[in-house]
Amino acid sequence: MNGVLLIAKKEIQIALRKKLIAALAIVIMGLLSIALYTGYVAYNQQRAIIEQAKHENRTEWLEQGDKHPHIAAHYGTFVFKPKTILSLFDFGLDTYTGTSVYLEAHYQHEFMFRPAQDHSSMIRFGELSAAMVFQILIPLLIIFLAFTAFTEERENGTLKLLISQGVSYSSIVKGKIIAYVSILFAIVIPFFVIAFILSTVITDSGSIPDVGLRVLFLLIVYVVYLSIFVAFSVWVSMQSSTGRNALLTLLTCWILFTIIIPKTTANFGESFYPLPSMKIYREAIQKDIREGLDGKNPKIAREQQLKKEYLQHYKVDSIHKLPLNFEGMRMQAGEDYGNKVYDVHWQRLIDIFNHQNRISSLSSFITPYLAVRNVSMGLAATDLNTSIHFQKVTENYRRELVRKMNLDMAQNSKYGEFYEYKADKNLWKTVKDFHYKTMSAYEILSQYLIELLSLCCWGLVIFFLLNYSSHKKKPVL
Amino acid sequence: MLEAIDLTKKYGDFTALKSLNLTIKEGEIFCLLGANGAGKSTTINLFLNFIDATHGQAMINNMDVTMHVKETKQLLSYIPENLMLYKNLTGLENLHFFCGLGGGNQNKSELEELLIQSGLQKDFIRKRVSSYSKGMRQKVGIALARARGAKVLLLDEPTSGLDPKASNEFSELLLHMKERGVTTLMATHDLFRAKDTGTHIGIMKEGALLEKFESKDVSFQDLEKMYLKHMHN
Repeated sequence: MNGVLLIAKKEIQIALRKKLIAALAIVIMGLLSIALYTGYVAYNQQRAIIEQAKHENRTEWLEQGDKHPHIAAHYGTFVFKPKTILSLFDFGLDTYTGTSVYLEAHYQHEFMFRPAQDHSSMIRFGELSAAMVFQILIPLLIIFLAFTAFTEERENGTLKLLISQGVSYSSIVKGKIIAYVSILFAIVIPFFVIAFILSTVITDSGSIPDVGLRVLFLLIVYVVYLSIFVAFSVWVSMQSSTGRNALLTLLTCWILFTIIIPKTTANFGESFYPLPSMKIYREAIQKDIREGLDGKNPKIAREQQLKKEYLQHYKVDSIHKLPLNFEGMRMQAGEDYGNKVYDVHWQRLIDIFNHQNRISSLSSFITPYLAVRNVSMGLAATDLNTSIHFQKVTENYRRELVRKMNLDMAQNSKYGEFYEYKADKNLWKTVKDFHYKTMSAYEILSQYLIELLSLCCWGLVIFFLLNYSSHKKKPVL
Repeated sequence: MLEAIDLTKKYGDFTALKSLNLTIKEGEIFCLLGANGAGKSTTINLFLNFIDATHGQAMINNMDVTMHVKETKQLLSYIPENLMLYKNLTGLENLHFFCGLGGGNQNKSELEELLIQSGLQKDFIRKRVSSYSKGMRQKVGIALARARGAKVLLLDEPTSGLDPKASNEFSELLLHMKERGVTTLMATHDLFRAKDTGTHIGIMKEGALLEKFESKDVSFQDLEKMYLKHMHN
């Protein structure tokens, strides 16, 4: 057998005989099972609630009875963000962004911008999810597994014996890394296989290819991330004079990587790019609607201009003589202008979020935890980008709903006639039921190129360090 | 088989080994005597390429150990003062592992036989090394050297701390290997063992090889006098 594989086999044999490692592995597998089970229960419960509420809402919308379209536009409806199957793996920001929003005319109800309500979703300290186990707890297992990789060999004197057999440092490094990664594989692969099988059982068959792709990407990303931790731990062990030093160094790095740096960068992000309060945000929108985006185009002037244009277009001298209900067109024009103002302010908010996220993304060059956390949330469709995407889709849906109500009013009712005109179920049916499809796995990954690049850089840096140190090291100093 | 040419090792201003010139022929057992810090272990570490020489060359079978790392390592076997094996593995597993690293392809029953021939009690072969005495571990080391078919043995105070019986058994194993043409360089404090086992003896002090001679040319008493004279000077 090849020397590298012999070393790997020996390492696995020894690790399996160490009670601490076995106990930690059992704890990790237990936590993963609990996280997966609770995620599955939560997913099923929420999916059932959402499905039921969605059905009830649709029925309520269709069965709302005959009424004026504008009243129907205010009657509105709820739309729900469907729980993605992988949200049972990574809860992401779902807890903070919410899953439903009320849609009505003139008003964009908030449900995703909790930060605008003086609270940041960037700062989260997780519930027990499988992703949290992979991102935070398994690296801890790796540290306990690998901190003695070289220090124990050196302290016990077996390193000299190894080297005297003609084994190179790089072979020892490779053997140890293969051993630890194999141990991790024994934990990680069955978990992902179970997660995938579970996903295929409870998701519709059309989604299976996409879910499969996401699971595959998640697996790759986590294997890379955990391998980085393994290689880093082995390198620290190689550089440390004693096991105690190696353990202290690695635990310090773990705290920095998984707690301090993510928290600090989130706080930096908020300090450098502060979000407006909800009150200021709302008031700014209302002010711009009232006075115009440039401050010189008040609502009354806009309405007078619209009236003038319609009268000129139809060559009549009174809105009563128009072939349509001017009130409907005025409302739609108001809606369009409101949307324009909202888009401007919403984009500003998105820009702030993007700046904050950029800091988080760039910080993944300092800690690989941020890279894997962001990509994992993305693939689970529980990240901010998915929330923003959902917000866009719901807003388009709301606009279409209101537009249909206003145009029906304009086309089928007369000016001054409000309570007299009533639309019926046929109009409500023209508003299609809301369906949301998340972005594809490729689209999501394209939003996390910095994170993916940082993981590659981490891998290369660790590879370089291990390679350099392996060639420099001598067993006796 | 073993040759040191102007071999020197310095740590800053401190010279651990001063221009050592030494040739050990095939089948010889060369014992290096000297107090702590005399340069014995440094010499062995240089032959093992565990440390870099400041000057000179360490050669095994006419190959520079720094230039032919793998080839020279394949020829040698190393037993330190306290041979440490993997405590969580059995003696047999340790032997199997280290043999495999050296390219050996013996099966476990062959290795088991070698362990018995090297003096390890049968009961202990499949017990974890954590329950082994120092002497037992040294015997695993000898079994390893035999299993690997080592041509050169580098021993760094291998009998230090062993009881007389174990020490004697160890010497017998060395002599047995000598008969098979194995060349040995052994650092030791044990004058009696050097005289008894070695074919050649060298006395080192403060990094320098002061004297070298064939062990048959001196009696134990002469050796002791010579050694003490150098140590007192």
